[in-house]
Amino acid sequence: MRRVLTSAAVAAALALAVTACGDGSGDTGTAPAKSAAPAEVSGTVTWWDTSDATTEGPVFQEIIKDFEARYPKIKVNYVNVPFANARDKFKTAAQSGAGAPDVLRTDVGWVAEFASLGYLAPLDGTPAVDKPEEFLPVPAASGKFNGKTYGVPQVTDTLGLLYNKELLKKAGYDQPPATMADLKKVALDVKSKTGAGGLALNVDAYFLLPFIYGEGGDFVDVQNKKITISSPQSVAGVKIVEDLITSGAAVKPALQDSYTNAETAFKDGKVAMIFNGPWSNADNLGGKVFKDNPDNFGVAPVPAGSVKAGSPLGGHDYTVYAGSKNLDASYLFVQFMASAESQAKVAGKLGLLPTRQPAYSAPEATANPKIAQWQKPMETAVERPWIPEAASLFQPLVEGYQKLAGGQTTTEPMLTDVATAYQGILKGWSL
Amino acid sequence: MVSPAAPAGAWSRDRRSPGRSIALHLTLIAASIVSVFPVAWLVLTSLKPRTVIETASVAPIDHPTLANYTQVLGETRFLTWAANAVIVSLITAVLGVLLSATTGYAVSRFRFPGFRSVMWMLLITQMFPVAILIVPIYNLMAGLGLINQFPSLVIAYLTSTVPFCAWMMKGYFDTVPVTIDEAGRVDGLTPFGTFWRLILPLAKPGLAVAAFYSFITAWAEVAYATAFMTGDDKYTLAVGLSQFVGQHKAEWGLLTASSVLIAIPAAVVFLLVQRHLVTGLTAGATKA
Amino acid sequence: MTADVVATRRAAPRSGARRLLSRHWYAWAMTAPVVIVTLVLVGYPLVRGVYLSLTDATEGNMGRTIGMNVIPSTYEFVGLKNYTDILTSAEFLGRLTWTVVWTVVCVALHVSIGLGLALLLNRPMRLRSLYRILLVLPWAVPAFVSAFIWRYLLNGEFGVVNAMLRAAGFAGVSWLDDPFWAKVSVIACNVWLGVPFMMLALLGGLQAIPRELYEAAEVDGATPWQRFRHITLPGLRPVSSTVVLLGTIWTFNQFPVIFLLTRGGPGGATEILVTYAYRQAFEGIRNYSGSAAWGMVILALLVVMATVYRRALRQQGEAW
Repeated sequence: MRRVLTSAAVAAALALAVTACGDGSGDTGTAPAKSAAPAEVSGTVTWWDTSDATTEGPVFQEIIKDFEARYPKIKVNYVNVPFANARDKFKTAAQSGAGAPDVLRTDVGWVAEFASLGYLAPLDGTPAVDKPEEFLPVPAASGKFNGKTYGVPQVTDTLGLLYNKELLKKAGYDQPPATMADLKKVALDVKSKTGAGGLALNVDAYFLLPFIYGEGGDFVDVQNKKITISSPQSVAGVKIVEDLITSGAAVKPALQDSYTNAETAFKDGKVAMIFNGPWSNADNLGGKVFKDNPDNFGVAPVPAGSVKAGSPLGGHDYTVYAGSKNLDASYLFVQFMASAESQAKVAGKLGLLPTRQPAYSAPEATANPKIAQWQKPMETAVERPWIPEAASLFQPLVEGYQKLAGGQTTTEPMLTDVATAYQGILKGWSL
Repeated sequence: MVSPAAPAGAWSRDRRSPGRSIALHLTLIAASIVSVFPVAWLVLTSLKPRTVIETASVAPIDHPTLANYTQVLGETRFLTWAANAVIVSLITAVLGVLLSATTGYAVSRFRFPGFRSVMWMLLITQMFPVAILIVPIYNLMAGLGLINQFPSLVIAYLTSTVPFCAWMMKGYFDTVPVTIDEAGRVDGLTPFGTFWRLILPLAKPGLAVAAFYSFITAWAEVAYATAFMTGDDKYTLAVGLSQFVGQHKAEWGLLTASSVLIAIPAAVVFLLVQRHLVTGLTAGATKA
Repeated sequence: MTADVVATRRAAPRSGARRLLSRHWYAWAMTAPVVIVTLVLVGYPLVRGVYLSLTDATEGNMGRTIGMNVIPSTYEFVGLKNYTDILTSAEFLGRLTWTVVWTVVCVALHVSIGLGLALLLNRPMRLRSLYRILLVLPWAVPAFVSAFIWRYLLNGEFGVVNAMLRAAGFAGVSWLDDPFWAKVSVIACNVWLGVPFMMLALLGGLQAIPRELYEAAEVDGATPWQRFRHITLPGLRPVSSTVVLLGTIWTFNQFPVIFLLTRGGPGGATEILVTYAYRQAFEGIRNYSGSAAWGMVILALLVVMATVYRRALRQQGEAW
C-alpha cells in the first residue's frame, strides 16, 4: 500500500515539475546537418504508413528491405497507422514535439494543412526531391504549398465509372455512358430492362466532385479567394445528383456505411454502375458477379458534364516531419521510396498508380492490367484546392448531401447553407 | 443499511401462482434475448466467410469457417497487442482499486476539511469531456517522456476510472457498520490498520466491481491509446485491431472476429468477478 | 502587550493547524494521491482551458519551434467572444435541446428498465444466476464494439433487423438514415449498453433493504404497490441518487455511441453537444480556444445540473 502511495506521489510531483516548466511548446530539435555523402548517412527513420495493413503494407516493407540493403547504416522503423487515425495522431504528436515519426505517408489533402502549421520540412534542394520533372503535374502540385515543396507524391488515384458489362449489355449498351445525360438514360434503361438498379451513389462529399467539376464548379476558387460551392455551376452539378435520386436512376442511397452499401450492391450485381477509385479493384473482383468473370468488370472515365469530365485527384505524398532528428536519412528514404523503380514495383504488385511518368512504362508496372485500365480515368483528374482549410470543407457538404439524399432539402438551399458554413471556415473569402 | 437482508421477495415464493411464474420467466427470457442477441449475431457473423458477409444474406449460419480468426491471429501482431492490453488493464485495475478504496474509505468515514471539495472534484472530473482533454494530457506526458510508454496510458485511465470507483466504494463503505472501525481502534489499530485489516476484506464485492470497471475501461479504450502509443509494438488490442478499418473499406469479417476476440477476455473477467460479486453480496447480507 | 496579542494570534492558527493536521492527517493522506494526480491531469488542463477559452488560440497561431520552422505566437485575448459565439450560434439551442432529450430519455429508460429487471431478479427462482449473467453481458462488451455491432444490425440493406422485419411482412426501416429513426437507434443502443450497470447497482440496493420492513408492511395489509412505493423506492434512494446523477453525466457526454453509430448524422440530426464540440475543435485546423470554451460550457451545464440535483436531495435529508 505504502509503496503505491509514494510512487503515485512521485509521479504527481514529477508532473507538477513539468507543468511548471513548459506548456508543450515542444523541443526545438537539432539544426539540419550539412548534407553528408549518402553512404555515410546513418540513423533510424520512423515511417508511419497509412496504407492497408493487411494487403498493401507487406509490399512497402519489402521495398524497405531494399532500402536498408542500399544504405546499411540507416534503419527503418516501420509503423502501420490506421488511415482513419493518422491525421489526428500525427497532429497531436507533431505539435508536442514528441512521438511524431520522421516520415509520414500523407493524404494529398493534408499536405497544405500540415505545412501551414509548420509541421513539415521543406524539401526543395534536398535529396528527397529527385528528378522532379518526371512527376505527373497534377499529383506533384499536391505537395507544394506557398511555393515550396513539402510532399513527394507516392501514389495517385482518382474516381472512375465502374460498370457491370453484362447488365449494360442486357439494357442494350456496349459502351459505358460518356456524359451525365447518358448516365441517367443508361441507368434508367438498366432499371427497366434488367430489374437491377442503375447507379449506386456513395453519399460523401468527395464523390459529389465529378458532378460539380463536370459543370465547371468547385468548392472554392483559390486564386480569387471566392467560395464557389453555391455558384450556378456547382448548383447545376449537384442538381444532376438530385435528379438521379428523384428519377430513380440511382437506387436510394444509404447514408450510414454508404460506401460499403453501395459497393455491396455493385458487387452483388444489384446495380450496374458505381463511382469509385482504383483502390476498390480487388474488392470488386472478389464480388459475386466478377469473381468468376473478371472481364465483366469495366472501368471508364467519369461521364462528362456540360463543361468537361473531371474527377478529384486523390493519392498520397511522402512528407518529412520538421522536428525529425534524422533529416538526412529521411530525405534519402523518401528519395528511394518515391523513385521510379520503387513505384513500378508497387504498381506491379498492388496496382497502385505511379506518380512518375517513366514508372508507367516499366515492365514491372505494365504487367498489372490495372495500370492501363486506370490510365484513361486518370486523365480526367482535377487538382483540388490545396489550402490549409481543405480538410474542413468536406463535413458541411456531407451533412448537406445527407439531407439532400434523405429528401429533407433541395439543392439550392442546401448549397447556400454549405456556403455559409464555408464562410465560417475561410475567414475573409467572398461568396 | 446496517442489516441488509436476503432477497426481499424470498418469503413470498410459495405463494407465486404458476401463471405469474411463467410470466416472470417469459419476461426474463425476452429480456435475455434482447441482451444477448447482438453479441450472438456478432459471433455468428465472425464465422462467415467474407464473401457471405459482404452480401445481403442474413442466414445465421452460412459456410461456417474460422478463416477470419486465423487471419486475425496469424497475420497481425495480435498476441503482442493482447499482452500489452492485459498489462495496461491489469495495472490500471490494481492501482485503480487501491486508490479508489483509500479515497472512498476516507470520504465515507471522515468529515475532514476539504471533504466536500474532494467529492465535487470526483464529480467534476467525470464531467469534463475526454475528447477535449487529449491534447493537453498528451503534452503533459510528452514532458514526462512517457509517450509510447504504458505508464502514460495507466495514468490517463486512472483519471477516468478512479473518480467513479471512489464514489462507488464510498457508497459501499457506507454500508459497512462503523462498529467494526470502532472495534479495530479499541484493539489498538491505526486508522490505516483498521482499513487494511478489517474493512478491506469485508469490502470484496465492492472491490470486485471497482476492479472490473477499471479493467473494462482500460481494456476497451481507444482514444488515449491511439494518441499515446506511437509504435505498433506498443499498440493495445483495441488500437491494433482498428487497422481493419481501412481508408476505403471495412473488413467486416476481420472486424467481427477481432471484436469477438476483444470481448472474450472482458467477458471472462466479468464471469470471474460476477460469481465473486454474487456470493460476496449474499454472504455479506446474511452475515450482517 | 500588543506584542503579546500578536503572538497569541499568530500562535493560535498554527496550533489550530497542528490540531487539524493531527486530527485529519490520515484522511488527507488517504485522499492525497487521487487529489494530486487529478489536480495535475485534469485541474491543470482545466485552468489552462479557462485561459485559452478567453483567447483566439488555434493550432496555427500558438507559438512553437519545430525543427527549422519557427511559428510566432500571435494569439490574443478576446474576452468572452468564444462564449458569446457559442451561445448565439444557430446550432447551439438545437444541439442543447436534443442533448437534453437524449439524456433524459436514456436515463429514464436505464433506470426504469434496470429497476424492473432488478425487481424480477431479486426473487428466488430457478436459473436466476444464468439470467443475471445473460442480462449483464452487454456491460462486458467494450462500447466501441457495441456501437459497431449495432451499426451492422441496423444497416438498412443487409442488417438483420430489417431482414427480420421484411420476413415478418413489414417494410424495412431506415434505422440510421432517417433523422427520427436514427435518434431512436442511438437511444436504443445506449439503453442496451447502460441497462446492465443500472440493474446491478439497483439489485445491490434492493438486497440492502431489510426484509423485516416488507414483512411488517405485509402484516399491516399493505398492497404490493404500497410496499413498492413506501419501502422499495425510499430504500433504494442511497443507490439510486448516485447512479442517476452519474448516469446523467455519462449520458450527457456519451461520445462513442453517437460518434461510432451515426457520426452525428444523418445531416447532423443525432449530434449531441460533445460530439459537436469535438467536430468544431478538431475538424481541420484545431481550434484550441473554441474547444476549451465548449468544454467549459458543457462543464458549466453539468455543474448546474449537479448542484440543483444535490440541493434537491439535501432537502430530502441526504448527506453532503
